[in-house]
Amino acid sequence: MSDTILDIIARKSGVSRPSAGDIVEIGVDRIYIQDGNAPTAARLFAEHGFDRVFDPSRIGIFIDHSVLAPDLLMRNRVKEAEKFARQFGLQFFKGGTGISHLVALEEGWFGEGDVVIGADSHTCTGGATGALAFGLGVSDIVAAMVTGRTWLRVPEIVEVFVTGHPVDYIRPRDVAFRVLAAHGQTPFLGRALVWSGEWIERLDAEDAAGLANLAVELGAFCCRLARTEGDRARNTPRITIDIGGIEPTVSRPPSPDQSISLSDAAGVPIHEVFIGSCASSRFRDVAVAASILAGRQIASGVQCVLTPGTGRVYARAMREGCIEALVSAGVLVTPAGCGSCVGTQGSVPASGSTVLTTMNRNFKGRMGNPDADIWLASPAVAAAAAVIGRIPTVAELVSLLHAK
Amino acid sequence: MPNSFDELRVRRIQGIVSTDDILPARIKHQHVDPKEFAKHVFSAHTPGFAGTLRSGDILVADSIFGIGSSREQAVTALLAAGVAAVLAPAFGTIFFRNAWNSAMPAIEIDLPDLREGETVRIDLVHARLTGARGATAFRAPPPLLLNVLKAGGLLASISASGAAE
Repeated sequence: MSDTILDIIARKSGVSRPSAGDIVEIGVDRIYIQDGNAPTAARLFAEHGFDRVFDPSRIGIFIDHSVLAPDLLMRNRVKEAEKFARQFGLQFFKGGTGISHLVALEEGWFGEGDVVIGADSHTCTGGATGALAFGLGVSDIVAAMVTGRTWLRVPEIVEVFVTGHPVDYIRPRDVAFRVLAAHGQTPFLGRALVWSGEWIERLDAEDAAGLANLAVELGAFCCRLARTEGDRARNTPRITIDIGGIEPTVSRPPSPDQSISLSDAAGVPIHEVFIGSCASSRFRDVAVAASILAGRQIASGVQCVLTPGTGRVYARAMREGCIEALVSAGVLVTPAGCGSCVGTQGSVPASGSTVLTTMNRNFKGRMGNPDADIWLASPAVAAAAAVIGRIPTVAELVSLLHAK
Repeated sequence: MPNSFDELRVRRIQGIVSTDDILPARIKHQHVDPKEFAKHVFSAHTPGFAGTLRSGDILVADSIFGIGSSREQAVTALLAAGVAAVLAPAFGTIFFRNAWNSAMPAIEIDLPDLREGETVRIDLVHARLTGARGATAFRAPPPLLLNVLKAGGLLASISASGAAE
């Protein structure tokens, strides 16, 4: 049995039996910052006169939110992030390398039992490989860069026990958003979320990361996946969900807690599709989109953008023919990174448009235009919508997935 | 930084609030100066709201406040717009830390009986909010956070402690 979250906290804090609610100080193994926060970190270093970091080899700066900067202000901020990395000798991941969380996974930065913090809420993705990984604001990140330490309030554990076996096109995101819709954030807020059950134990690395990524959407502080029966949390509040026979989940605007079954959303006209973001831009996500779009054309009047999560995913998708299929179908494939997720690089949705995207959030204005409605779904559903110009029925989805 | 705040003006906020609602990402990526952020507070959520904020306002929310993104700029934007504190039944985990780290109290309180525009007083040490219709207790902030507030924020407290030397 691997370390529990409490084991990691005990080891990294020196407190032998940490209990929920205690405030403890812990050592940090890795720290990373994305391009939207690095310039503010640089400003805070200068303002407070900090002139060194605890270990530059353990700190990364990632250019992922504004890879192709859409305006002069953001481009200048990206250059400040680059200069900040150079000034302190930090690890620098230039634009096109990919989204911080996914590159960190590829680079082995989320070592099992390590403490990893990032200036981005989706740092919880690192829970997939057994790291204690959580997002923090930039002051906390700057403090840890200087001291090599941070603090946390020891979280209570909340376990979600998953039973049943769904059809193969059901993805972890369909399950996570269903749990959110049923329970809201309240049971998870500030807690450590542990997913368990046979289906969870069988998830491969890509799907495990896809599930851990969404912990923050449930309000959790951090996340881990029980990989064996022995890993399951004990004596903790348990929520159960039976996923046998569930349909894909679609989230209505303006928040992921407004999630419903595909059948209840089918038929909604879609004007723009974005496949990407740290939730759903791994190779499998690109491949399923390509398999649906191969030999077809996206619907007239629909714009479809796909952004691979990392440069490695992009290169593999190119080798395996996915990119050719996507481009031939009329998809705009952009350099690896966060893509259109937060309106900090193209494309921004048109006013009055309805967007279907594989992102993890659909808050009003999320993609840079408060006058667009944003719906969320898995890559397969999004690609199917791009083909038919509306949210598909289950039958339409299955037909597009399997019939050629 | 004081332990009590007088003459605070209540501004009610309804529903779950995300950090995207408080400050759009695009603005965060364009600027580093909180004064720039302040102009865009709640610009997608409630257009025009930023212009009505003044120094000494407090936001009183009726649901979870500050879910989603880790952007601390949502806090510094509110501070620069004059917001002295945020009160809510619960907070997004990261937002809660960011608020105290930036020397803005985030107070966990169950739906106080407060009206838009009324004047209140907050006593952090005794964890009490006093308005026109009496006093309401709230969850006492941990001493660690009160110390951070007293120092003027997390980084100021680190500078002062010599931990950066």
